[in-house]
Amino acid sequence: MKAKGTHLILGVGMLVFSLLIFSLLISVPLQAQAQTQPEPQPPATPNNLPDAPSSSKTEPTLQELGFPAEQTQANAAQQALLDKRTHMLKIHQRMGLITTAPLIATVIASMGAGGRNSSTTSRDLHAALGGLTGDLYGITAYYAIRAPRVPGTETRGPIRFHKVMAWIHGPGMIATPILGIMAFDQKNKGEKVHGIASAHGPVAVVTAGAFGAALLSVSVKF
Amino acid sequence: MTKKILLAFVLAALPAFAADSQWALQQATLTYHVSHPLHQSEGVSHAAKGKGVCHAGQCDFLIGVPVKSFDSGDSNRDLHMLQVTRGAEFPMVLVRTRLPESSSASATLNVDLEIQFAGQTAQYKQVPFKLETLAGETHITGTIPATLSDFKIDPPSLLTMPVKNDIPVRVEMTWRPQ
Repeated sequence: MKAKGTHLILGVGMLVFSLLIFSLLISVPLQAQAQTQPEPQPPATPNNLPDAPSSSKTEPTLQELGFPAEQTQANAAQQALLDKRTHMLKIHQRMGLITTAPLIATVIASMGAGGRNSSTTSRDLHAALGGLTGDLYGITAYYAIRAPRVPGTETRGPIRFHKVMAWIHGPGMIATPILGIMAFDQKNKGEKVHGIASAHGPVAVVTAGAFGAALLSVSVKF
Repeated sequence: MTKKILLAFVLAALPAFAADSQWALQQATLTYHVSHPLHQSEGVSHAAKGKGVCHAGQCDFLIGVPVKSFDSGDSNRDLHMLQVTRGAEFPMVLVRTRLPESSSASATLNVDLEIQFAGQTAQYKQVPFKLETLAGETHITGTIPATLSDFKIDPPSLLTMPVKNDIPVRVEMTWRPQ
């Protein structure tokens, strides 16, 4: 009962902490974006337009090059879409990096959470760190999933591997805490971890590995 | 009689307004290089089109390339490049230059370039290019020492580390007189 109460308090505390980080992260890029709004362009004069009639009668024009009109015309809606996508993926990247810290801490804390010589405190710490990791991971995933797609873009390069890894660590990040709670309850009842709960460790290792591989795939060139 | 004289003047004046010769861009490979502490990446475009119009011993050249035609092999990076360079708002990179008509016979050229990109215009003075003429085609190679700050582009960053300001663009073009 006492352990459950401690677990609940730690869980709520970590949730509040992650929400605080989240709100800070959101506010900073938005402020930065507001500051970096492009300055109003001076009115276009015939000389600074790419397809403007030239002062020289011989100077070739953009129209003469033969590009289709849709390729040369500005598309403000598309630019807004790209801006929103980049903004959301920047938060995704930042949150992913932040999530790495509690993830590593959770893995380290797991060493004292399982086995015969584990203590309630170390299990609580492991559970709390795991909860924090899960919360931050959820926010990270939200920004990747909600970032707008650009129509007609085929996914190429390391980002493909990054996305494939998400199909491993995504379900893993759901399964690991569920199995963890089951294992936690069994341990607190003085039982040996059994049944499906015994998969908590292996599932967590695979999940953490896939998360690390996803991070490295877009950070370091192989 | 007056009409005939006028017609003769008009016909005589026509060659003065007509271009002496023209050049067409046959092939082009433009490659930008970006340096990051963790990455070295290149984006390549083969989609450039260009035209040169010569008159009175001077040739005006215009080369255009769509920003989104650059391919770095990573769709995520290409989309980010398109965003930071405001490639949807300013979809074309335009390069203008003026050269003496006689320069096509040279082996090297120092060219003054005017480049419109990302809503900005930058001038590059005396950029060296190599010329080679084979079978009526002139091959031009060189590197434009472009930088992000020339076009007021905020350097993109990865893991909080920004890319270097230098984004040299290697140019390989084949021109043919028309």
